Amino acid sequence: MGEDVAMKFSSIGYRHHISNPTWYNPLKKRKGAGVSHVDLAISKGEIIGLVGTNGAGKTTLLRMISGILPLEHGEVTSNGTTLDIDELRSLVGFMPEQVRWSSQQTIQQTMTEFAHLRGCSVQSALDSLNVVGLKNRMDSTLDALSQGMRQRLSLGIALLGTPSVLVLDEPFNGMDPVAIDAFKRLLRSLANKGISIIISSHHLAELDHLIDTIALLHRGQLLAHGTTDALQASLGFEQMTEILSDKEIEQSLLETMNVLEHVQTDHQHRYVIESGQSALLETLIANNHRITTWRVIAPTLIELLCAATGMDRASIGMEVEQSNMIPLRTIGGEEE
Amino acid sequence: MTPSKRMWHLAFALGRRRLFSTRMLIMLPILLLFIPGMAWGFSDANIQLPAEQVPSNGTEVMFLASIGIVFAGTMAAVLIAHDGISRDRVSGVLEVRLSQPMSRQRQGLVLILGHWGSIAIPVALLLILSMWLVGYRSDMWIPMIDALVYIVASMLILLWYTVFALLASSIAKEQGSAIAFSIGLWFLFTLLWVLFTTLLAALNGVAVGDTQDQGYLIFEGRLDLLSPNGVYHHLLETRLDGVDRGVSAFWAYAAAILWTVVPFYAFQRRLNRLVP
Repeated sequence: MGEDVAMKFSSIGYRHHISNPTWYNPLKKRKGAGVSHVDLAISKGEIIGLVGTNGAGKTTLLRMISGILPLEHGEVTSNGTTLDIDELRSLVGFMPEQVRWSSQQTIQQTMTEFAHLRGCSVQSALDSLNVVGLKNRMDSTLDALSQGMRQRLSLGIALLGTPSVLVLDEPFNGMDPVAIDAFKRLLRSLANKGISIIISSHHLAELDHLIDTIALLHRGQLLAHGTTDALQASLGFEQMTEILSDKEIEQSLLETMNVLEHVQTDHQHRYVIESGQSALLETLIANNHRITTWRVIAPTLIELLCAATGMDRASIGMEVEQSNMIPLRTIGGEEE
Repeated sequence: MTPSKRMWHLAFALGRRRLFSTRMLIMLPILLLFIPGMAWGFSDANIQLPAEQVPSNGTEVMFLASIGIVFAGTMAAVLIAHDGISRDRVSGVLEVRLSQPMSRQRQGLVLILGHWGSIAIPVALLLILSMWLVGYRSDMWIPMIDALVYIVASMLILLWYTVFALLASSIAKEQGSAIAFSIGLWFLFTLLWVLFTTLLAALNGVAVGDTQDQGYLIFEGRLDLLSPNGVYHHLLETRLDGVDRGVSAFWAYAAAILWTVVPFYAFQRRLNRLVP
């Protein structure tokens, strides 16, 4: 990457301050969960998918990258220069998860307001509206916007002042598939113009055909960052192929395949095998199997996490559940 | 455009939005009733006041009418600014604002100036109208310097309450808490302070029942420096003859500066540490 690095974060960290009252100090706080010692280099025009389970620290990391949360340690550099927080904010455009834009203000007034906050011209605000496809709706009030349009407005604001890094927190939440597709095309065109993009998601599938690299975050730590292939190789992943067949594969043939998963439904059998067995397809067809699907499948988030942490699926799932679990209250002996 | 110009532009836009909001339309009749309405009432030549007080000039009439500012003006400031931050926090807009390169100090100033401006402008106009009404009705025209002190002091008390409300709004995670905090503070200084003063005076052996007792007046005067409404009245009293509550003009001005600087500093500090 070298010269193409748009921004580099070295050993950055932040821990949330949570309430920890005592009788003599009801306002006492202590440090809670957060993100620690994250190293991340963002190349120009690269789209990074920041993935992790709920509570992994994705939003915290994105807020740090956007300059909303201060860095408790570490530094940010761009072109070899260390950036302070105001410089960082001027280089990063941030789109939070689901902003509920609502008021009698028009889109144009909102964009003008944010253009002043950003320090760029009103004309560039109109250009941003053009990029996100809201130019024809700029006289609409915020109250009249659909969820997809609100997301576009948030993106338009993030694009003000042509940032070199665009940070998007769960941008596809609440969007229909058509809007997601349009949004992905837009992001790809922005990346082609040299804007680096970081997208967070807890669904790897959402990021299909969009991201260049994956950054895997778990419990506030960046476990791995690289292309999907590199990540799979470094985590010791075998490529997997999914096969859907109308009937069960013969035992003799099964013994030659390394079957990872077999699920039988009413009308078909689903097998997941290690990739690289292309001759198998011809054999199955020769044996009168009707193969409706034969495709290489990407590992799921949970599989990547298991590989990166060395934990099994059951224990990693429990861990996530425990960190988000709300204790049950009992009223009159009955669980509520 | 320089950062300062951008800041003023944003403050002006925010002020204009708040000035023409539905909330302001609702409060305007209340302000009309309390500010020019009180001035009209107190300028009546046949008015019967407690303790046989008779205002002898326009400044005294306006001093009596200042209760309209204390009750309606400050309440309007609180209602205008109470959701200045909490509303954006709930909707997620605050995150977008805080990610912008304009420093948080400047963004804080935009919030203060915008909200304060939206209430200060109509109140200042109503005060000018009130002074004209007093002069027109009783022929007791207010000297220019007294009018200026009256308007500046009124603008200051509105500024203090605006900053309190914004501070509460920055602390509250949702709008209900923000309004409860702001109204609670308004209630304390506007209504409960008398009770607090009386209680403390009684504990100190001052003749509480006698409002003409000099000891009580001095005690109350000094304690009033700890309340924004009290400081407001001290500032107005600097233009009244024959008022001695044991607090010189210097202390009134010093308290006014402190009541301006300390909440300002607290708000800016809070904004710097704000996590959306």
